[in-house]
Amino acid sequence: MAVTAAAAALAAGPSPQRRAGLGPWFAVTPMLGWLALFVIVPTLMLLVISFCERDGLGRIVYSFTFENYTRAFDWKWLKILGISVWYAFLTTAICLVLGYPVAYFIGRSSERVRGLLIMLVMIPFWTSFLIRTYAWISILSQDGLLNALLMTLKITSAPIGFMYTPFAVILGLVYNFLPFMILPIYTSVEKLDGSLIEAAYDLGARPARVFSKVVLPLTQPGMAAGILLVFVPAIAMFAITNLMGGGANPTIGEVIQNQFTKARNQPFGAALGVLLLAIFILSLWLSSKFRRSEQE
Amino acid sequence: MTKHKTKLIAAACAGAMLLAGCGKKDETLKLFSWSEYVPQAVIDKFTEETGIKVSVENYSSNEEMLAKLLAGGGAYDLIQPSEYAVQAMIKEDLLQELDQAKIPNLKNLAPEFRNMPFDPNNKFSVPWLAGFVGVVYNAEVVPGPVVGYKDVFTDEHAGRIVILDDARETVSWGLATAGIPINNVTDENLATITPLLKDWLGKVKVFDSDSPKTAMSNGDTDIGIVWSGEGALLFAENPKFQWVMPVEGVHMFVDNLAIPKTSQNKDKAEAFINFILRPEISKMISDEFPYYNPNLAARALLSPEQLNNPASYPPGFDVTSAQLFTDLGEQASKVDELITTLKAQ
Repeated sequence: MAVTAAAAALAAGPSPQRRAGLGPWFAVTPMLGWLALFVIVPTLMLLVISFCERDGLGRIVYSFTFENYTRAFDWKWLKILGISVWYAFLTTAICLVLGYPVAYFIGRSSERVRGLLIMLVMIPFWTSFLIRTYAWISILSQDGLLNALLMTLKITSAPIGFMYTPFAVILGLVYNFLPFMILPIYTSVEKLDGSLIEAAYDLGARPARVFSKVVLPLTQPGMAAGILLVFVPAIAMFAITNLMGGGANPTIGEVIQNQFTKARNQPFGAALGVLLLAIFILSLWLSSKFRRSEQE
Repeated sequence: MTKHKTKLIAAACAGAMLLAGCGKKDETLKLFSWSEYVPQAVIDKFTEETGIKVSVENYSSNEEMLAKLLAGGGAYDLIQPSEYAVQAMIKEDLLQELDQAKIPNLKNLAPEFRNMPFDPNNKFSVPWLAGFVGVVYNAEVVPGPVVGYKDVFTDEHAGRIVILDDARETVSWGLATAGIPINNVTDENLATITPLLKDWLGKVKVFDSDSPKTAMSNGDTDIGIVWSGEGALLFAENPKFQWVMPVEGVHMFVDNLAIPKTSQNKDKAEAFINFILRPEISKMISDEFPYYNPNLAARALLSPEQLNNPASYPPGFDVTSAQLFTDLGEQASKVDELITTLKAQ
């Protein structure tokens, strides 16, 4: 997105300096208000609470302490965080490998088919992800549809335990996040200038080289956006990992959720939340740096 | 002309009422209850009879309820805390004393539920349903005999076990097995049972508090430790799912109705409590949620099938012998940390 905006600005050429009136400020006020109320204030609250203590009933006691952070950097929580990051990484990688060809195919097909195909990607998302996750449970469980099919076709003789395994967790995550990878890449592919590809062929490049030297760099903004859109929410996801994994391998999202409920320790949950936020900011910064260096 | 005038007056009144409604007390009864615990039919019937509208919000743990109540979000009129939460809330002066003259149907409760240790003489709370935590197993796969927790976590069952995703519960089974009273959750006692719990949790396939019956009825697990209501539903689905009250000691939970200090609608809340204590209404609750009904008059209306379900009404079991949880306070965080880290090993 930044690339195209910069390109448009360059194409427009130097514009005469003009002082903006009050009008535009009025126009953005609702958005600024929204950001302040629902992004900045909650984040500040999280930050403040993460330095507080709590009493026996779980009420926050406003006295300053570093204890939540020293506790958060214990090996046992970092290990859980590491597992969550690993799950998110796997999910992102699989989504990229599966989503890229699909996005490319949709983006290069005729305009009439394109709308229909994008619809097909979107339609499942008109249903709540919890219901779709429960559907997976009834497919993958031991007495479920998949095992019944495999055994009827005599492919397996005994039911396979698909459910409540890391496999099931990754499957649930990939299934739920795939469209967030497909859509931004599709947007990049759609904008791809076909004449550049033709030029590459004319200059004697083979398909593999055209892909790696022309198509891939031009669709990189879409890929970067897709990777962020999948990776960030996948780290913090707790509902799908809990349902599909049977709660046996807690992710950092589940741990944080627990602090705010059963563990009665909101300040510690807030500290873990701040750490997670730091990771998100770091990955945003890395990806923007990555994109900038590509431009140069 | 007159018609026009009355309309105007009516509109003005409506406007005034709306304005007044902003600052003054609300006419609806705000019920804050466990999810999947209050049948909609019961609420509809209450509104139909009394004209009192009921708005419902749900929570999925006592701690969530406490957090929202203490944050002062909604002015709830009626909450549904479990026994240890009632105990903590009485101690912190968060509940209103009930006017028992307005709740004559209290007489329907079994005597043993009229004077529970967490709230003697129902001064602040009235039991809704009670339940046990016990062992359920698939008798077609597990030969037995199964008598307690120790028969669940055997090597043969490794990877075929479902238990409640509840750190406090898990710790209490460990304590009971080690012969320690389940409310003695001290650091030393936690250290004592850690090796045992480590061995147990390594064998568990599924942790689920919301619907542990799913893993059993889908065939993904053969044995487990679940709420008695879940065990009752499994038994009703197929008698191959046998229910066992653990020999190590039985934990009973009692969920209650209580009125928070912040409520402005005490009369209506008491009317609701009295309403659900009516035998035919309490039966409606039992029909949907087959836990142990403390309402004797309602139990008289239940079918033999309901009463003979061994998980709902364990034959020959004396409920006064069951153990109740007391409030853990800050120790709750340690219990959660222990179980979370043992799961992540």
